[in-house]
Amino acid sequence: MNKSMNKLEDKLMPIANAISQNRYLVAIRDGFMTATPLLIIGAMFLLFSNFPIKGYSEFMTKVFGENWSIFFDRPFETTMAIMTIFVVLGISYNLAKHYELDGLSTAVIALVSFLVLTPFVTDFTPEGSKEIFKVGNVIPIEWMGSKGLFVGIITAILSTEIVRFVVKKGWVIRMPEGVPPSVSKSFSALIPAIITILLFDVVRLLFSITPFETIHNFIFKILQAPLTNLGGTLGATLLANLLIGLLWSFGIHGRSIVGAIMDPIWLALSAENLAAYQAGKSLPHIITGQFQEIYLQLGGTGSTLALCIALILVCKSKRCKQIGKLSIVPGLFNINEPVVFGLPIVLNPIMLIPYIATPLVLCVISYFAISVGFVPRPNGILVPWTTPPVIGGFLMAGVRGSLLQIVELVVSFFIYLPFVKAVDKQYVKEEQLDA
Amino acid sequence: MKNITLFCAAGMSTSLLITKMERAAREKNIEVSLNAFPQAEMERHLDNVDAVLLGPQIRYVLPKAERLCGKKGIPVDVISPADYGMMDGEKVLEQALELIDKNKK
Repeated sequence: MNKSMNKLEDKLMPIANAISQNRYLVAIRDGFMTATPLLIIGAMFLLFSNFPIKGYSEFMTKVFGENWSIFFDRPFETTMAIMTIFVVLGISYNLAKHYELDGLSTAVIALVSFLVLTPFVTDFTPEGSKEIFKVGNVIPIEWMGSKGLFVGIITAILSTEIVRFVVKKGWVIRMPEGVPPSVSKSFSALIPAIITILLFDVVRLLFSITPFETIHNFIFKILQAPLTNLGGTLGATLLANLLIGLLWSFGIHGRSIVGAIMDPIWLALSAENLAAYQAGKSLPHIITGQFQEIYLQLGGTGSTLALCIALILVCKSKRCKQIGKLSIVPGLFNINEPVVFGLPIVLNPIMLIPYIATPLVLCVISYFAISVGFVPRPNGILVPWTTPPVIGGFLMAGVRGSLLQIVELVVSFFIYLPFVKAVDKQYVKEEQLDA
Repeated sequence: MKNITLFCAAGMSTSLLITKMERAAREKNIEVSLNAFPQAEMERHLDNVDAVLLGPQIRYVLPKAERLCGKKGIPVDVISPADYGMMDGEKVLEQALELIDKNKK
């Protein structure tokens, strides 16, 4: 058993290291981390304009009038609906810091570059008419949100690289000795800014003569939409969870590493569902970031909450009982390092089987429960991953979401049961020998 | 007063560990100031820190941590999986204190 573990580790570690050290993936991951709290807040507000309880919106209209939901829509409109702005700022800031460039000015240059690529025009169809008018003097929200994510990510990275190149070459305006540092700082950003903005303007110009008209259209149609839809399939999600489980088997934070690639896709899937939710249209996707985090990571990666319960209720060894007591409270909030490292699950072939298999089983169950209509599709609200089970499901899909989680708890309990009993038996023997 | 900062992916599991470390410090009558943060924010939480410890699940961040902390002369180490799993505040506190001592020499 150990030989194959080592072989697997030798193959996986370089990949994991490459992904975790790659500065672009790191910048993307850290940039998303900066933007995500804002997005969670914005999405949460939408919960209040759409609370899944009968009679809620009639009540609110009675008390506050027709336009009551605007109050809750505004925070959503200024965060989730324009998320790419914050993602661009976050990614370029983090990458700039990595290169020891000035974070703020580089982030601003990246944002400007992104805006340069986006014509300030939007399409407007008046009520009752079929004619589409082009309205100028607007910033098109359409491309500021999740639809613009990939362009935003590419822009943030490219513009930061251009700035770094220019600074490295020394093409900066140097101020004479006596000038105060804040003045010379603002001047030194000038040349990199001019060059970067010019280059992006040229890109915009080039795309405007193609049938796609904008780089946004091109990237969305050719790259983002296909990748997002691929990422939202059952197969892709099973593969992602297999990888996450394998990485954690070696004690590496699998979700962080796989997330570096999947997070933009999972976020885009949630955002598309959320936009449809807000507009009262049917939800396009079964799988979203929250499907992954709330349905599949029940108690933490590997769905270990049931395991913690089993440790306390079923196990007889002192060690298992101790770990169970230690990990049940964090487990309720989906934090499971104690049981992962303490039981341990890491590098423990017996426990690795249920640890990797359980999320895959739950994935299939949840997917089919939703696709046949027992459980509504995830509403796209960015329920934080630390939300306890049952509550998390409720926020995502109402009462049936909670029921799904309870079913998952029971299923995962029975998957873990034989394995944890085997480990327990081992520990009991060891403890008897010690005694 | 020794300042020890722990980093992990979201700052959550390390904050659990910190409460146990604080208890161990009180029992030994050692004055420590303990903090936990997500590793993405490492750069802005390194002022006046005497030692940095990383959760084992983010040990791949060690190169970046050594670079950032090395610039400020802060010693870095990864917490062992066993100590982390058992949330052994006493052992991890010892690890941090040893790091600080070795660094002084």
